[in-house]
Amino acid sequence: MDIAFLGSWLGSVPTAAIPLLLASVGLILSERAGVVSLGVEGYLAMGAMAAAAVTLESGSLVLGIAAGVAAGALLALGFGIAVVLLRAEQILAGLATMAIGLGAAGLLGRDYVHRTFEGVTNVDLGSLAQVPLLGQLLFAQDPLAYLAILLTLGGWWLIARSHFGLRLRAVGEDPATADVAGVNVQLHQLFAVTCCGALGGLGGAYLSAVASNVWVENMVAGRGWIALALVIFARWDPLRAILGAFLFGAVEALLPRLQASGFDAPVYLMGMLPYALTIVVLVAASCSRARRNAEPAALGQSYIRQDRR
Amino acid sequence: MIALPYTFALQRRLTLSGRRGVGTFVGGLAAGILLGLALLVWAGVPTESLLDDLFVQVFISPQGLAQTLTLTVPLILVGLSSAVAMRVKFWNIGIEGQLWLGAIGATAVSLYGVGPEALRLPLMLLASALFGAAWIALPLVLRLRLQVSELVVTLLLSNIAYLLLQHLLFGAWRDPANSFPMSMQIGGDERLALLGFGNLHSGLFIALAVTLLVAMLSERSRLGFHAAAIGANPQVARAAGIPVGLTLAIMVLLSGALSGLAGGLIITGSEYRLTQNIGWNMTFSGIVIAFVARFKPLWILPTAFALAGLYNAGSTLKVFYGLSDAVVVLLQGLILMSLLVAQFFAHYRIDMKKEPR
Amino acid sequence: MTAMPAASAPVFLELRGLSKRFGERTVLDGVGLHLERGEVHALLGENGAGKSTLMNILTGVYLADDGEIRLQGERLAIRRPADASAAGIGMVHQHFRLVERFSVVENLLLAAGGRKGLRSASEASAALLRTAEQIGLRIDPQAQVADLSVAERQRTEICKVLALGARILILDEPTAVLTDREAGDMLSAIRRMADTGLSIVLITHKLREVIGHSHRLTVMRQGRTVAANLPTTSLSMEEIARLMVGEQKAGPERAPSTLISNGADLLIAHQLCVSRADGGVGIDGVSLRVRAGEVLGVAGVGGNGQQQLADALLGSLPIEAGNLSLDGAEVTHASIARRRDLGLRIIPSDRMASGLIGELSVADNLALTRVRGGHYRSGWLNRARMRADALAAIARQAIAGATPELRTSLLSGGNAQKVLLARELDSGVRLLVAHSPTRGLDVKACAVVHQAIREVAASGAACLLISEDLEEILALSDRIAVMSAGRITGECPGGSSAEEVGRLMLGHA
Repeated sequence: MDIAFLGSWLGSVPTAAIPLLLASVGLILSERAGVVSLGVEGYLAMGAMAAAAVTLESGSLVLGIAAGVAAGALLALGFGIAVVLLRAEQILAGLATMAIGLGAAGLLGRDYVHRTFEGVTNVDLGSLAQVPLLGQLLFAQDPLAYLAILLTLGGWWLIARSHFGLRLRAVGEDPATADVAGVNVQLHQLFAVTCCGALGGLGGAYLSAVASNVWVENMVAGRGWIALALVIFARWDPLRAILGAFLFGAVEALLPRLQASGFDAPVYLMGMLPYALTIVVLVAASCSRARRNAEPAALGQSYIRQDRR
Repeated sequence: MIALPYTFALQRRLTLSGRRGVGTFVGGLAAGILLGLALLVWAGVPTESLLDDLFVQVFISPQGLAQTLTLTVPLILVGLSSAVAMRVKFWNIGIEGQLWLGAIGATAVSLYGVGPEALRLPLMLLASALFGAAWIALPLVLRLRLQVSELVVTLLLSNIAYLLLQHLLFGAWRDPANSFPMSMQIGGDERLALLGFGNLHSGLFIALAVTLLVAMLSERSRLGFHAAAIGANPQVARAAGIPVGLTLAIMVLLSGALSGLAGGLIITGSEYRLTQNIGWNMTFSGIVIAFVARFKPLWILPTAFALAGLYNAGSTLKVFYGLSDAVVVLLQGLILMSLLVAQFFAHYRIDMKKEPR
Repeated sequence: MTAMPAASAPVFLELRGLSKRFGERTVLDGVGLHLERGEVHALLGENGAGKSTLMNILTGVYLADDGEIRLQGERLAIRRPADASAAGIGMVHQHFRLVERFSVVENLLLAAGGRKGLRSASEASAALLRTAEQIGLRIDPQAQVADLSVAERQRTEICKVLALGARILILDEPTAVLTDREAGDMLSAIRRMADTGLSIVLITHKLREVIGHSHRLTVMRQGRTVAANLPTTSLSMEEIARLMVGEQKAGPERAPSTLISNGADLLIAHQLCVSRADGGVGIDGVSLRVRAGEVLGVAGVGGNGQQQLADALLGSLPIEAGNLSLDGAEVTHASIARRRDLGLRIIPSDRMASGLIGELSVADNLALTRVRGGHYRSGWLNRARMRADALAAIARQAIAGATPELRTSLLSGGNAQKVLLARELDSGVRLLVAHSPTRGLDVKACAVVHQAIREVAASGAACLLISEDLEEILALSDRIAVMSAGRITGECPGGSSAEEVGRLMLGHA
């Protein structure tokens, strides 16, 4: 393997990594507030479909991507209302949300399947992209990839440094204490869940509008679930999520490249790699003490002030 | 500051009356179904043909009924699979993976001619159950030994199972005589007998017998008693000396075996070959069936039948109104969500009080 | 009580006619209380008298169904916790309102909600240190709460509440979780706080803390105030005790068997060590011996390893060092099932969390431990026999309102405890471990439990009674071991006085 191969491989990593990263950061926000958003697969599907459909209808990519964000956020808001306000069981409601997202994407997008459109083009920084090895990775990406990194940093700041983040973490750690401190537990959870949907929607929009310039059903292909595992790997820290997402992106980007360069491998068995890697990572993360100390203490519990046992 | 004249407070009901429980459940179900119907009308299905497409054509007309009953067979098994796992609070969301492995197992027995021909069919079904159970063993071990959540692992194993299926169909098992990725058809004596009612096959009796067995197991056996205790409160069950790990393992392996058997019945009963198109959405359908049936094995029969009707109608909707399979998934999602939300009204009440001046 | 003279200035804080119901149960019935500036006001009552509920209403955790709260004569609407803290009312609960994985400063920042003067970490840290200085407590603003001891958390919580501007401080049994020395320090600190002008409500059921550490007192019993706003000096200890428990005699009569037979050793625990799930030391070198026919009481302040001792004996926590034998058999690493087969039975402290399954029927709960051994056949269960056994148990224990099919969660606490007794005290019992068996029960149900424990001992089995209720220990035990900080710190014979045991409990061996 030569430098050029490595360089172009690395250059293609972000395309695979960004949807995972956006979904993971969204999930981290949601889980830090104590809500497991199991339906993230649905947010991605809605985002991907809405971005493609609106772009095809309006001709505007910006509108399309905005629609993807809005579609993800809307679905998540519905889930949030069900679990936060109406106290539906989080796991089952998450699965139902996933089904609604996948189903609605299929139903609403039935006229847009397989219609290609002009997607987002990569930025052109001229000669910087020619820097060996890292040039393509760092300087020849699409604007959304840079935006995603900024959003991740912003998410990290919000959680770790802002007063809002302090309240959000308190809600996920100990909602009763947060409530006594005057934090509106439900509102914070709803906000976090909706943000998770918006980021998931953006990740989905990235899949259709950047990574493939077309929308097809089932294009999400379990990425939401990989993101769920990534959150555990990242110990609920957005910065570590970048590492995890790029690790997975690297594996995913490697497969087509190996084939293209004539490497003879059983394609479907190779395709198992990201999923198998996810399980390995999950097991490793679950065994570490650090993970147990990082998991929000009240994750998955519904809180009601006047509960008496 | 403007004070509201009323204060609201959410209160958990201290007791749950049976009638309110049933009422909210039926209400939630009805709301979900109505919402789904409205959606279909919005998507272009004429109101006047709803009854015909969704009811008469799938439950009344002999041809439709036979088709629905055929679809019911695997749905019963995945519903049982989900209910059995849920009984010990194990989230098996990899039913599709276990089903595919079951189908692969059954096909393998046929392709490699395992065992004497007279026993081939039972061996195929046995293999499907064993393969299904094997596929859930990894998440089970990870959960018991390392406390790894089974949620993500079971699901990811489904994706891996599907890739394995494709690997076989595009490779070693591909029928050279066919342009589609399919295995060769299984032999005539490897098939379940047809009942002379459309494509309905004797797998229906197997499904019914298995349902009875699972019902007996859950309601009447020591295993089921222990499982119910573990599902309700593992801490108390442990303190009572119940073998928690062993019971959990048996129930979870049974869940995998039931999913696998569903795959076996699809191969031996209706498809006669391994294809890429079997088993889709079975995980979620299993969960919906189990939930709507309140995890009671006998209630799974009518629930699976009703959902099979929906799937059957789905193919009509696809042909006539261009609605993809996604619409069936969407309807199931809406019904489940509606039921979950309805439980709120059974478990909580909102206290409203006028604030004294 | 005579009413306050109408002409005087309005009371600083007045609670008037507060009522609260949970479902069918009335827990507060027209309760009132006056609090003045700079006073320590003791709020007394037994467990379940309604003290905590009353204070939870004052702090906005619960909404009162009836009644009103007035601050300096003005009606004060407290609908949520924020309303209470805005009015300068702060409470230190037994369970501290601190997020464990936050630092002390972060906890203050959270509670401050971005208010002026408490926006940055440095401001919050300075405010904490300033407050701590004023009332003479030491705290470390940078520490993680999870790393602090209980006493340190309590000091942290008090400083946090005061730094937020509380003028009225409610302390819910502040000494219950403290050692003797720490408790003394805390009571002096409370006096100092009152001297600086704060008003303090001291919730307690320890009479000694009331005398000498409070200015006035209010006594509650069964959801009502039976005496309100009396000067503490006007009453003797005996008078206060009578107000708390009513006219009946306090506590059960001591009636242990005086004949300690030379029974066989049913339990020998030798140097048991068990660590807690959170990493702390649970029990550290505990040795106990229980002989057939006796009740061994384990006294001590809660949270000193009692839970870990019970869990280690049952087998739900692994024993890390030491030996345990049960009725002559070595069981240090044996399964729960094996220990139960040898005759170990348990009444856990939290019956609905670790004793009974609320979702299951009474019959199922009664059969829970017996199905495994094949008592109802090994394959298909004999449901009819299960039902018959349940009916018999319900009749024997006189479990009011119970049927075999009833969901157990619908039973009252006392009746649920009877179900548990009926299951655990079967014919196979050799050693009963009873952990706070009467917690939250009414007098009648307590008597049933006590009688059952006596019968266990009389039948030739034995009981290890772990309880925080000293009177219960004194009334039932043939021998008393005292537990403190995860160790057995002393032992005295049955019939010892409360003072003797109390001295051991407080570390004056």
